[in-house]
Amino acid sequence: MTHIILEARDIRYRYPHGMEAIRGISFHVRRGEKVALVGPNGAGKSTLLLMFNGMLRPDSGVLLFDNQPIRYDGGSLRDLRRRVGFVFQNPDRQIIAPTVYQDVAFGPTNLGLPEGQVRVAVASALRNVGLTGFERRPPHQLSSGEKKRVAIAGVLAMDPDLLVLDEPTSNLDPAGSEDIMELLEELKGNGKTVFISTHDVELAYPWADRVILLRGGEILQEDSPEMAFGDADLVRKARLSVPVLLDLHRELERRGLSLPGKRPRTVLDMITTIEQVARKGGSSPQYGTIHVCDVDETAREALSYWLSCHDGISLGAMGTRAKQRASEEGLTLDFSYGVIDKCILKALNGKSSLILTAGGMVQQVERRVADFKEESGAQIPVRDVVKT
Amino acid sequence: MHEELLEDIAQKNGLREVNPYLKLAGALGAILLCLSSTSFIAPLVIGLLLSTGILLLARVDLRTYGELLAAPFSFALMGTLVIIFLSGGGEPLWSWSPLTWLSFSLTRGSINEGILVLSRVAGGMSALIFIALTTPMTDLFLVMRECRIPEPVLDLTMMIYRMIFMIMDQLVQTYQAQRMRLGYTSFRESVRSFSMLCGSVFVGSWEAGEDLVRAMDARCYSGRFAMAGEIRPVGMKSLLAVVSFLLVSSAIVLSSGSITII
Repeated sequence: MTHIILEARDIRYRYPHGMEAIRGISFHVRRGEKVALVGPNGAGKSTLLLMFNGMLRPDSGVLLFDNQPIRYDGGSLRDLRRRVGFVFQNPDRQIIAPTVYQDVAFGPTNLGLPEGQVRVAVASALRNVGLTGFERRPPHQLSSGEKKRVAIAGVLAMDPDLLVLDEPTSNLDPAGSEDIMELLEELKGNGKTVFISTHDVELAYPWADRVILLRGGEILQEDSPEMAFGDADLVRKARLSVPVLLDLHRELERRGLSLPGKRPRTVLDMITTIEQVARKGGSSPQYGTIHVCDVDETAREALSYWLSCHDGISLGAMGTRAKQRASEEGLTLDFSYGVIDKCILKALNGKSSLILTAGGMVQQVERRVADFKEESGAQIPVRDVVKT
Repeated sequence: MHEELLEDIAQKNGLREVNPYLKLAGALGAILLCLSSTSFIAPLVIGLLLSTGILLLARVDLRTYGELLAAPFSFALMGTLVIIFLSGGGEPLWSWSPLTWLSFSLTRGSINEGILVLSRVAGGMSALIFIALTTPMTDLFLVMRECRIPEPVLDLTMMIYRMIFMIMDQLVQTYQAQRMRLGYTSFRESVRSFSMLCGSVFVGSWEAGEDLVRAMDARCYSGRFAMAGEIRPVGMKSLLAVVSFLLVSSAIVLSSGSITII
C-alpha cells in the first residue's frame, strides 16, 4: 500500500490580467515515487510546480499535501515549505548567501535549529550532493552544475519529504545532467519523493516512474513512461518527440519482427529483447560477473590489490560518495550513470565489471540483477568484493 | 565571468588561511604609522615591506599589483605636483610668475611636503590593497559580525555582495551583445547604447530582487541569516610576523624622526 503525498483536485489558475495558465488539473503523487511533468515551453509546468509549496494559490480547486488541504496562513506555509523542497530552474536566482555554507544553512537557520544541528544538517546535505569541502567558496566561482548542487543541498538541508525541481538539467552539459539525474535517483533511494518538470524527453523516459504530459495548462496523458510516450499522435500534439528507443522498437515491430516482453525503457531492455529473438534455440551463453564493492568497508590497499588482480576490468561508480572515492584514488570510471544496466550489458556480453558503491545501494545492485533474471531468465552472478 | 575581480584574487591568495584580525591589525597599524610619521622614509619602507608581502606571501601576480597601484599613484602624483609648485615655506629655490596673480615656486618646504605626502600615499595604498587582496569579503563578514555590526545591516551587506556578481554578469553580457551589434561605434551611438544598458540592467536587477524574495520565501525565511563557519585561529608564525612588522615599522618611524629629502 502506498501513501499519497500530494494530490490535486481540479485546480485552476489565471495570472492577474493574463490568460488561464492551469485549466482544471487533477492528479496525485505517491510517496517514494519519481514523477516527471513533461511539456513544451509555456505549457504551465512552472506555474503548476509553484503551487506545490504554496508560492501560488489556485483560483479554484483543492491541493492536498499529505491528505490535508494546503492552508495559506503564514505558519502552515512555513511548515509546507519545509516539507516541500523547491529547486528553481536558475540556481543563481536561488542562491542567496555569499558562501556555500551560509547558503545551505539558510533554511535550517530560519527554521530555528540550534547552531550545532545546522552544522550537522549542512554537512550531511553537502555530502549528499558531493560538495564536501566547498563550504567557504563563494557561489559565483562555481560551475553551473556545482551551483545546481548547492541549490539542491540548500533544500535537502531542511529534510523535505517531497522534492520539486523545475527543469533540473537546463543549462547543464550532458555529463552534468547525468550527474544530477543520478543524484535524484540516489535521493529516491533515501526515501524522498521526487517531482521534476522538464521538456527533455530522453531524460524523463528512463528515469521516471510516471509521466504527466502537460500542454496548454491541461493534462494530456498520465501514465507509465512507455505508455505516455507510446502514443505518437499525443506526443506530437504536446510538441515533444518520441524517445529514440520507443521509436526504434516501433519501427522494428512494423518490419514484422515480433518482439517479446514490454516496451524497452533502457538500452539494456532493448538488447535483452533482441538477444532473446536472436538466440532462440541457441546454446546458453557464458555470462560475465558483476563485482560489487562497498567503498565504506573497503580499505584503499585492498581495493587497489583487487584491481591489480583483475586488470582491465570495466569500472563503474554509483552514488556521490563512491564517485568521490574513485576520483581520490585516481581511478578512471567507465560508467558513472545508469551503472547497473551498463554492467549487466557487459555481463551479457561475457565481460566482468566492478561497481563501486556505498551503503544501501549494494542491495540495489542485487535487486536489479534479480529483477533482470525474472524478466529475461539470464542468471548473472553478482559477487561482493568484501566477502570474497 | 571573464574578468578577474579583486575578490577572486583574494579568495585564492596565499594568506587566505591567516586569521583576518591579524591581517587587519597589520594593515591598519601600517596606515596609522604612515600617517604619524613625519619623515618620508618610514612610509616608504612600510610600503615596500607590504608590497613584498603581497607579492611573495600572498603570491599575487606582479602585473596585477602594478595595475592596481597605478591608478591611485597617478592621482597622487598630480596632487604632489600641485603641492610642490603652489605651496610655500622656506627659501625659494626657483620661482616663476607668468601672470600677476599666478606664481609657481619651488621651495625646500614644498618639496619636502610633497615627497612626504607621496610616500604616505604609497604606504597607505599598499596597506589598503594588502587587505583587499588577502582578506576576501566572506571573511570580513565574520569579523563584522563579531564587531557587533547590527544584523540587518550585515544581512543587507551579504545580499548586496551576492547580487553584485549577478548584476555584473548581466552587465557584461548585455554590453557584449551591444558591442557585437556595433553599439559603441560613434559617440551618439555610445550614449544611446549606454542608456539602454543602464535601463536593461536596472530592470534585470529589479527582477532578480523579486526572485530573491521568492527564493527566500520558499526556504522559510524568518529574518535569520546563517554565518559561515569559524574564523581561522591565530597562528604563531603569522602572529610573530605581524608583531615584528609593526615593531620594526614603529622603530623606523621613531628613528627616522623628521629626516627630509633636502
